Amino acid sequence: MKNSLKDLRAARGWTQADLAARLEISRQSVIAIETGKFDPSLPLAFRIADVFGFPIEKIFHRD
Amino acid sequence: MTMNVAQRRYAFRFLSMMTLYTVSVVWVGWTFGTNPPAGQAKYFLAALPALPIIGVLFVLGRYLFEEADEFLRHRHMVSLLLATGIMLSFCATWGFLELFGLVPQIGVFHISWGFFAGWGFASALVGLFYR
Repeated sequence: MKNSLKDLRAARGWTQADLAARLEISRQSVIAIETGKFDPSLPLAFRIADVFGFPIEKIFHRD
Repeated sequence: MTMNVAQRRYAFRFLSMMTLYTVSVVWVGWTFGTNPPAGQAKYFLAALPALPIIGVLFVLGRYLFEEADEFLRHRHMVSLLLATGIMLSFCATWGFLELFGLVPQIGVFHISWGFFAGWGFASALVGLFYR
C-alpha cells in the first residue's frame, strides 16, 4: 500500500518525531510507514487520518 | 533512542533473567564440583539453570502482549520467527548429518543458546531491513 504521509507531514512542517508524538507511536514506526515497509492496522490508519484531518483514502492508496 | 514503558520492563526482566542464569550456572557448577548432591536433589539442581532460560522465553512472549506500538510488536515477532526458523533449520540439517554419522552428536542444551544467537542475528537483520 502506498501513502502520502511524508508529503503531508512535510506540508505541515512536522518532523518524524513530531508526528510520532501526535500518534503516540515510535519514530521507527513513522519511518517504516512512510517508506512503505509497514502497513498500519485500520485503527492506526484512522488515527493518522484524524491527525491530518483527511479521510483515510486521501492518505493511503492502492499499489 | 528512548525506550517506552514496555521496552523498559522488557529490558529489566531480560537482564534480571540473565543475571539469575549466570548466578545459577556458577553456583550449580561449583556445587557439583565441590559437594555433589545426592538423591532427587541432584536432578533439581542440575536443571536449575534452565529455569532462567525458560524465564527469558516468557519475557520475550510477554513483551509481545505489553508492547502497544504495533510496528515494534511486528518487528519483535518477525525477529523471533526468523530465529526459530534459523534454529529449526540448523537442527534438521545437523540431525540428518548426525543420523548418517557424518558429524559428531551435539547436546540438546546447545539448542537454547543457539536460538538466542540466532535471535541476535535475526534482530540485526530485521533492524537493517526496517532502517
